[in-house]
Amino acid sequence: MARLAVENVSVSFGGIHALRDVSFDLESGAIVGLIGPNGAGKSTLLNCISGITRPTGGRVRLDGVVLSTLPPATVAGRGIGRVFQHPELVVELSVRENLMIACHRSLGYGLISELLKLPNVWAAERAAARRVDEVLDRLGLSESADLTIRNLPYGHRKLVDLGRALLMDIRFLLLDEPIAGLNESEVAKLRDLLLRVRRELGLGILVVEHNMPFVSGLCDRLVVLDLGHLIANGPPAKVLRDPKVMASYLGEDA
Amino acid sequence: MIANLIVGGLAAGCLYAMVGIAIVIVLNITDIANFAQGEMAMVTTFFAYWLLDSVGLTWWEAVPIAIFFGLVQGIVIQQVVIRPLIGSPVLSAIIATLGLNIVLNSVAGLIWGHQTYTFPSPFAFSAPFMIGTVPISVDSVVNITAGLAIVIAMTCFLRFTWIGLGLRAASQNPTVARMMGVSISRSSAIAWGLGGLVGGISGILVAPSLFLDTNLMGALLIKAFAGGVLGGLHSLIGVFLGCLALGVAENLVGAYVSPAFGEAITFIIIIAVLVVRPEGVFGRVRVRKV
Amino acid sequence: MTVATDIARPRRSLSFGAGALLLGLCFAAACAAPFVLNGYGLYVLTLTGVFALVALGLNLLTGYAGQISLCHAAFFGVGAYATAILTQKAGVPYLLSILAGALFTAAVGAIVAVPAMRLRSLYLAIATLGFGVVLQKIIFEWRSLTNGGGGLALSPPAIAGYELGASGLYFLTLAFVMLGLWGAWNVSRGRTGRALLIVKESEIAAGALGIPAARFKVIAFAISAFYAAVGGGLFAYLVRYIHPENFSVGLSIAFLSMVVIGGLGTIGGSIVGAAFYVIIPELLRGIKDAPGLVFGLLLVIVMVLMPQGLWGLVRRLGRRT
Repeated sequence: MARLAVENVSVSFGGIHALRDVSFDLESGAIVGLIGPNGAGKSTLLNCISGITRPTGGRVRLDGVVLSTLPPATVAGRGIGRVFQHPELVVELSVRENLMIACHRSLGYGLISELLKLPNVWAAERAAARRVDEVLDRLGLSESADLTIRNLPYGHRKLVDLGRALLMDIRFLLLDEPIAGLNESEVAKLRDLLLRVRRELGLGILVVEHNMPFVSGLCDRLVVLDLGHLIANGPPAKVLRDPKVMASYLGEDA
Repeated sequence: MIANLIVGGLAAGCLYAMVGIAIVIVLNITDIANFAQGEMAMVTTFFAYWLLDSVGLTWWEAVPIAIFFGLVQGIVIQQVVIRPLIGSPVLSAIIATLGLNIVLNSVAGLIWGHQTYTFPSPFAFSAPFMIGTVPISVDSVVNITAGLAIVIAMTCFLRFTWIGLGLRAASQNPTVARMMGVSISRSSAIAWGLGGLVGGISGILVAPSLFLDTNLMGALLIKAFAGGVLGGLHSLIGVFLGCLALGVAENLVGAYVSPAFGEAITFIIIIAVLVVRPEGVFGRVRVRKV
Repeated sequence: MTVATDIARPRRSLSFGAGALLLGLCFAAACAAPFVLNGYGLYVLTLTGVFALVALGLNLLTGYAGQISLCHAAFFGVGAYATAILTQKAGVPYLLSILAGALFTAAVGAIVAVPAMRLRSLYLAIATLGFGVVLQKIIFEWRSLTNGGGGLALSPPAIAGYELGASGLYFLTLAFVMLGLWGAWNVSRGRTGRALLIVKESEIAAGALGIPAARFKVIAFAISAFYAAVGGGLFAYLVRYIHPENFSVGLSIAFLSMVVIGGLGTIGGSIVGAAFYVIIPELLRGIKDAPGLVFGLLLVIVMVLMPQGLWGLVRRLGRRT
C-alpha cells in the first residue's frame, strides 16, 4: 500500500500564486478527481507531482521519500506515470514502436551491447515486446499495433499514451483531461479500462477532468482547487453540494 | 592606443550590427533565422560593383539602385523559397536558408568568378577626423553613423508607421493580426525586403575595406549572429549593443590578451552567455505550456 | 521543433529478401571496386566511405535526436589530428590511434553537448558554430602538436608492419563503414534510438517516460562525434596531408547537407547523401561553382518539398513498383 502525499505545496511564478499551501493524499487503489475552474492550478499541481515544476514551498512525497526535488525522468522512474492532455507520440512510428519507447527503463542493456546487438539485447527486446503485446491487448489495440500513429484516430492516440504509462511499472497515474476529444463509446471504454487497471494493478489514479458526470461516476474522492487554494476534499456527493465549490463554479459562469 | 582600439571596434561592431539588424527583423517577424543574409548582401554588393564598373554610374547613383535591388531580392527570395516554409519546423527553415547561402555563393561565383575586386568608397582619401588626440578614420565615422542611423530608422519604422505596427502585430500574435486584416505572408515579404535592404547597405560599406569577393560576408554573418546572441536576438537595440560589444571586445582581446585567439575568445564568451542565459542578455524567456 | 521524417517501414515479409539481395549486391560491388577502378576512382570511393561514416553519426544526432550541429567538421578534424599525432609522434599503431582518437573526440562531443542540453534550434546552431570555430582555432594555434598553419604531412599508413596501399586503406574504410552501418542500424532500432526519437518529439514527454532528455542529447553528441572522428582518422591517411583549413564551417555545412539530402532519420540516406556529395563534383568537373549550386538548391528543395530526402524518394518509388 503506497501513499503519495502532497504536503503544503505552493507555487508562484513571478509574484503570481498558482498554488497556495495545497495538501492532500493519494493512496494506491484510490481514484481521485482533481477539479476546479480554469486557472485553478490543476495542471500546475500535476506538473509539481511529476517533477516538471519545482514547488516554491512544501513538498511531494512518495512513501515518505521526497519527490519534488528530483528531475522528471527520475520521478517517472519511481513509479509516477503521467499522461498529458495532448498525446505526444512519435507520429512516424507504429503503435507498437511507440509503446516500446516506454519500455526504456526496463530494458537494462547498455550502449555498447546495443551498438553490437549482443545476445542480452535480443532477450531484453523480446521480453519487452511481450509486455507491449499484453498492454496492446489490455487497451484493445492489438489490431492497430502496426499502424503508424499518423494513421491512428485521436481517441486511439490517447489510449496509446495511456499504454505508455502502463508499461512503466507505475504505482500512481496522473491523467490530464483524459476524455477531452473522445466520443461517447470511447469514454465508456476508458472508464472501464481505468477501473480495471486500478483493480488489477492497484494503481492510485489522480485525474484532472472538466466533465462532472464522468468524474463523479469514476472517482472515490474529489479534490477541488480554486485560484490555487484547496477548497474541498471528500466524496463526490458531498463535495459537489459544498457551497464553496458551487460558488467557485458559479463564479466562473457569471 | 586604447581609444583607437575602441573606435575601431565600434566601427566594426556597427557593420556586424547592420547584418544583425537585418537578421533580427526577419527572425522576429517570420521566425526564420536567415543564414543566407550575408550572401544576399554579397550579391547586392556585386550588383553595385557591376553598376559602377560596367554600367559606369557614379557611386552616388549606383548605391541607391543597388540598395533597392537588395529590397527586391529579399522579396523575391521570400516569395520563391520562404513562403512554402512558413509554419514548418524551425530546423527545416534553418537548413533551407543554409542551402540558400550556398546557392547564392555559387551563383555569385559563376557570374563574377573568384578573384577579388576593389570596391570604391567616396570617403577613401579624406583625412581622418581628430577627437582630442585620437585620429578617427572617415570609414569608421561613416560606419558608425550608418549603423546608428539604421538602428534608429528601423526602430522608428517599426514603432511609428502603420506598416511597422502591422509587422509587429504579425510577429507577436499571428492569429489576432490576421483578424485585424494584417496579411502574414505580406508581412513576411516586407520583412525579407527590409532585411535585404539593410544587409545590402552593410555589404556596400564593408566592401571598400575588405576587397570584394564572393566570401565577403561569410565571417560577417557569423559575427552578426554571435553579436545578436550576446545582446538577445529579440530586439533591435539588443542586437545593436551586442554587436558593438562584440566588435570592441574582439579588438581589445586581440590587442591585450592574444592576437591569435581574439575570435575564438569571443566565441567562448558567446557560448558562456548561451549556457547561462540561453535567450541572450536582453532576451526574453519563452515559457512553453504543457 | 521536429523535422518530419519517415521511418515507416514497408512490410518486412515482402521487402526483406529484396533488401538483403540489394545489400549483398552493393557489398559485392564494393569488394570488386579496387580491381576495376583506377587510382583516382578508388580515392573517390574511399572518400565517399569516409564521409558516409560522418554522415551516419550526424544523422543519429540530427535526424533522430533532432539536434543541429555546425561543428562536425571540427570533430572530423580533431579525429584526424588525434590519429595523425598518435601514429606519427607517439608511434601508436594505426588502428589503435583511430580508436583512441575517436574516444577522445567523443569526450569532446560530450562537452559540446553541455550547452546543447538547454539550447534549441537556432541557439544550438550558433553555439555549435562557435565550438567549431574554437576547436579549429585550437588546432591552428597548438603548433607544437599540430604544426599549425604548416599542416601535417603523413607517411603511408601501416597495420602490423604492412604498409597499406590505396586498396588497403579502401578495404579498411569499407570495414569501418560496414561496422558503422551495423552499429547505427542497431542503435536506431534499439533503446537509445527510440529514446532519441521521443526526445526530438518532446522533452517533456520523454521525461514522463523516465527518459532524461539531457543525458540522451549528450549520448547523441558523443556517438556522433565518435563516428566523425573515425572518419577523420581515415581521412588523414587518405589525403596524407592535413591542414586546419580543411575543417572549417563550410565542411560542417557540407556534412549537414549530406544528411539532409540523403534523408534525415534514415540510415541508408546517410550513405546516399555522402555518395551524392562526392560524386556530383566529379560529374560537374571544371565548373567550380556548379556542385555548390546543385547542393544548395537540393537543400532548399528537400526542405520545401521532400523532407525525407533522396532515400525517401527512392523508397517511395520502390514501393510503387
